[in-house]
Amino acid sequence: MSSQEEGETSPEITAIGISFGNSNSSIAYTSGEGKAEVIANEEGDRQIPSVLSYIEGEEYHGTQAKSQLVRNSKNTVAYFRDYLGKDFDSIDPTPCHASAHPQKHESTVAFSIQDKESEAQNIVTVSEITTRHLRRLASSASDFLGKKVNAAVITVPTNVTEEQREALSKAAKAAGVDVLQMISEPTAAVLAYDARPEAKLKDKIIVVADLGGTRSDIAVIASRGGIYSILSTSHDYETAGAQLDQVLVDHFAKEFTKKNKTDPRQNDRSLAKLKLEAEATKKALSLGGNASCSVESLADGIDFSSTINRTRYELLAGKVFGAFTRLIEEAVRKADLDILDVDEVILSGGTSHTPKISQNLQRLFPPTTRILSPSTLPTAIDPSSLSARGAAIQASLVQEFEKDDIEQSTHPMVTVTPHLRNAIGVMVVSEDVKKGLFTALVEKETAVPCRRRGVFAVPREGGDVMVKVCEGLRDIKVSKKEKPKANGKPASDDSDLDSDDDEDEEEEMREKVWNVGSVLAEAAVKEVKKGGKVEVTIRVEADLGVHIEAREAGGKGGVRGILGTARVVENGSA
Amino acid sequence: PVLPQGWAGEKDFKSIGQLSSATQRNIEPVGPHFLAHARRKRHQRTFSEDDRI
Repeated sequence: MSSQEEGETSPEITAIGISFGNSNSSIAYTSGEGKAEVIANEEGDRQIPSVLSYIEGEEYHGTQAKSQLVRNSKNTVAYFRDYLGKDFDSIDPTPCHASAHPQKHESTVAFSIQDKESEAQNIVTVSEITTRHLRRLASSASDFLGKKVNAAVITVPTNVTEEQREALSKAAKAAGVDVLQMISEPTAAVLAYDARPEAKLKDKIIVVADLGGTRSDIAVIASRGGIYSILSTSHDYETAGAQLDQVLVDHFAKEFTKKNKTDPRQNDRSLAKLKLEAEATKKALSLGGNASCSVESLADGIDFSSTINRTRYELLAGKVFGAFTRLIEEAVRKADLDILDVDEVILSGGTSHTPKISQNLQRLFPPTTRILSPSTLPTAIDPSSLSARGAAIQASLVQEFEKDDIEQSTHPMVTVTPHLRNAIGVMVVSEDVKKGLFTALVEKETAVPCRRRGVFAVPREGGDVMVKVCEGLRDIKVSKKEKPKANGKPASDDSDLDSDDDEDEEEEMREKVWNVGSVLAEAAVKEVKKGGKVEVTIRVEADLGVHIEAREAGGKGGVRGILGTARVVENGSA
Repeated sequence: PVLPQGWAGEKDFKSIGQLSSATQRNIEPVGPHFLAHARRKRHQRTFSEDDRI
């Protein structure tokens, strides 16, 4: 057997999913049974810090490199993902304040580090750093799988530019990893949930909140028949895990200063130590009610040790938590939706482990909205690993394809399609359009072509039935809740406190209602049996022609009809 | 609802309106259902044709 020869003619592709973040990266593969699994590196980490550090020519990666931020910060490179494919003037170097500083190098960004045994400082471009990082990730995956990993699906934020994609693709290629496809982080998170065997395919509006270390990205996605369309995205670089770390750093620093008269924040090394420990404390607070923070020789050779409970932390970080909620609210509004329209909130990213954030969201959204996070749903997937899992699933789907096939399939010719502006549904129960009850069959923002089938009850006595197909417009009905009758207090008591109460009691009741839009078609289904049902199928073609079919459930034949096509209006896609 | 008396349509079907205009958007090229969509689009197949294959 000349397996070597075979290898040359058709090299076997072993593809993994990579989530490449500013703070952490992770790698995942799809097992034989089609389940996505996250791979731990040699150190046992599933969340691998995106950090590289050099000591006397030796390269350290991940957690080991991160701990070098204290002693060897100048030769440690961190938070570089967002610099890839950008020019120096457009980057924000703030996150790199405590590590090797980015600098301008020709048209790109580079770091000046001592990465060889000699004392000389070398200029290493961000693309070379990325290559080294991806090489380490791929080699960890190769070791685990026992096969050389040579391809990957990599997740990227929704706001990457074409230059950034190209730079990432090049850097990966240099690391021996062929990028099959780049998929966006929020979609990857949705896919990670939808690919679970117990998941049911449903039309729904999903908000993906990717709360990371140095940035938070929110995306509102319409999931229609398993096809995802992004309705809005927002990005925030001021509300993320780093701000929560800072809350703890400030808290402990103040405590230390009170006892010892030196502020550990004034000294770079002390600050680096405290930051690392504060992050660990924060993680512990996501799991337990109490956490300790201890740093050996924090400043002036004095050790520091303290504890904090979750309630205290939530109080201190209240402002930051509130900002997360506002980000999400804002993104929903940006998509021209109401919080009542949201069916699911997927919390992704490391900061999503924080219980308080999901609790706040539970309060913001109606009880029918599912908040998918570890503290609100026992079956939730680890938020840190969502994008890597999604990427792994996508990798398993496309690794058999030819490269051209993937490129052609992801071409705008294929991905740009009209989306329905209004829902299409059937009027049931009443004869009168105004009083009738609208049931949506095809939701709005469904990409065409699509088809949906629904079964509707008919009047009890059966007989001839009219199927009325209409467009539906979702409206939010606001009604004032009657304030409860005086609860013991005399009505004349007009203190400030009382007027506050009044405001609370007059709570607005908001609910989703359907307004019936234009009638599209009527069809008669004759002689339906007593207690029978009518099955209606609506098919919208790519040219927006509508095919309607109505028949008695279980019966044959039925009524069919076609509507003329409508116009497509160009509208900026999200 | 009950069929009103005297209602008539060609082959029991009456087309009244048409869809309001649609919005052009990008769908995410991810997941098994998208790949099926892409396959249909590239081969110009309809749902039922695709089901048969």
